[in-house]
Amino acid sequence: MAAIIETSGLTRSYGDICALKPLDLCVPEGEWLTVMGHSGSGKSTLLNLLGGLDRPTGGSIQVRGTDLASLSEDGLARFRRDCVGIIFQQHHLIPYLTALENVMMSQYFHSVPDEAEARHALERVGLGHRLKNRPGELSGGEQQRVCIARAIINSPRLLLGDEPTGNLDHKSTTMVMELLRELRDEDRFSIVMVTHNQEVAAWGDRTIHMDDGCLVREERIKAC
Amino acid sequence: MLIRILKSSFLKRPKPVLLVLLSIVMGSAVATAFLGISGELSHKMALELRSYGANIVLEPAAGEAGALKSDDLPKIKTIFWKHNIVGFAPYLFGQVDFASAAGRQRAVLAGTWFGRPLQVPGEPDSIQGVKVTAPWWELDGRWPETPDEAVIGAALAKRLKLAPGSDIVATAAGKERRFRIVGVASTGGFEEEQLFAPLAEVQALLNKPGQLSRVLVSALTVPMDDFGRKDPSRMTREEYEKWYCTAYVTSVAKGVEEAMSGSRAKPIWQIASAEGALLKKLESLMLLLTGLALFSAACAVSSSLMAAMAKRSPEIALMKTMGADRLQIAAIFLGETLVISVIGGLFGYLAGDRLAVVISRTVFNSTVTSPLWLFPTAIGAALVVALAGSAAPLKRALAIEPVRVLKG
Repeated sequence: MAAIIETSGLTRSYGDICALKPLDLCVPEGEWLTVMGHSGSGKSTLLNLLGGLDRPTGGSIQVRGTDLASLSEDGLARFRRDCVGIIFQQHHLIPYLTALENVMMSQYFHSVPDEAEARHALERVGLGHRLKNRPGELSGGEQQRVCIARAIINSPRLLLGDEPTGNLDHKSTTMVMELLRELRDEDRFSIVMVTHNQEVAAWGDRTIHMDDGCLVREERIKAC
Repeated sequence: MLIRILKSSFLKRPKPVLLVLLSIVMGSAVATAFLGISGELSHKMALELRSYGANIVLEPAAGEAGALKSDDLPKIKTIFWKHNIVGFAPYLFGQVDFASAAGRQRAVLAGTWFGRPLQVPGEPDSIQGVKVTAPWWELDGRWPETPDEAVIGAALAKRLKLAPGSDIVATAAGKERRFRIVGVASTGGFEEEQLFAPLAEVQALLNKPGQLSRVLVSALTVPMDDFGRKDPSRMTREEYEKWYCTAYVTSVAKGVEEAMSGSRAKPIWQIASAEGALLKKLESLMLLLTGLALFSAACAVSSSLMAAMAKRSPEIALMKTMGADRLQIAAIFLGETLVISVIGGLFGYLAGDRLAVVISRTVFNSTVTSPLWLFPTAIGAALVVALAGSAAPLKRALAIEPVRVLKG
């Protein structure tokens, strides 16, 4: 299967501190990769580099054949809106917009807002009845589902999750993970998800363990 | 979607929006008020400056000695710039022998109008004469009211030991005329050596009926600029029309000259230049104050937006994460700025218009109507304030790094 992500000797340093030591990683199209590790192990740094939110200080990083290190600021912005959907632990929804408008905003930056499509995306994540609610009127699980709808609205080939269930209770976590699996099975996008939670990691196809900026262990959970 | 974002942004964040709006309204209002009254202020100041004295002198053209005619005087109030003519005073000068109780002396007798009603068909009645053109004369006594009354210059009065109530006899060409002194004039100039009597009496005494030596004209003019200083004889037709239709002292003088046959009109440059320089400084001061008001408003807008931007940095970081490029982010924030500045400009114009009325009434005791061009100017000023004020916050917004802001 073709690789969606390929890194070679990928490093990221902040001054003297090396947050990510040379990393070779290959993620095939459609794979759900989970990244585990302690705080400061470099997993979020890796995720930011994969999402084009940060630039490497060494090595190469290719996502769908595009060398991210060679892109300009606006080129990285284009890459993010065309290829990537990102889900955060803290949800990061715009508080003065409704759930529907939050999803439509992602469409606005990508191309043209389409209310029907945004409504459908929210219905897919089970929030068809919460379209007009603002983030403050939604539970944590519901907010995270809005984030998922926002992340998938532009049909990205890569979904990045930075501890997306970190703030959710067990029931909501299960709901979000089931939803992600369902959407992944339907849309066949790849997922790279950072988590602390062993149970959450078990939803993926493969887990890599990081420590002190290095990939220390890898385990395949199920065949891709 | 942009409209939805802007609408929601305004409705859900009323406090910072109101702060920015208030700054823009204030800047735009002060600019509107200052610019609104600057025209009125210049006009009032120009009127006040007319107390400097006449700024145009009419004399017989070369080769036409003593040829100015009294009959032409009313024509001065019919020229293109007739509304700018504040007043004029005709003079006929002659060397005569004066005799008083203190002795005899040869000096200048000036025939003039003191405050003569002038009626010109189709024009409002006016008073013309020395009272109008030389309001700065200090008069001990009163102005003459009958043909045998006169005003004497302070220096001549001292030499001839004359005071209000004294009589003086003027002799010329074998004719005598007795005048009663009703006022002693102190001017600080050559007028203090002269006797001023009614024009018709002096014309009769000097045997020069209907003749004038000089006419002093006091006119409202605009400050001279490079164009005004150009030689009219070298101007193109369009330039000449523009020059003729601008109230430069030279073009008003030209109009007066055309009205008085055989005359040559010259600006009295020490008066005209001083007035022009003062009016120019006044205009510059008003523009400077307007600029300062706008600058202060822009600073207030900038600091309000900076504070708002700090609060909104997660939002901006999120937009960047979703793939918004710099242009899209700038469009959102400049769109907000544009809407606020148009509203601010509108309210600023209305507030500034009222402020101009209050200032005009309080300071000049007159009413002022803001010209129509002030409306787009107010909107423009609001836009300038908003854009200048949002430059630094926008730069900061575009420099936000999502990784740092959304961490954790």
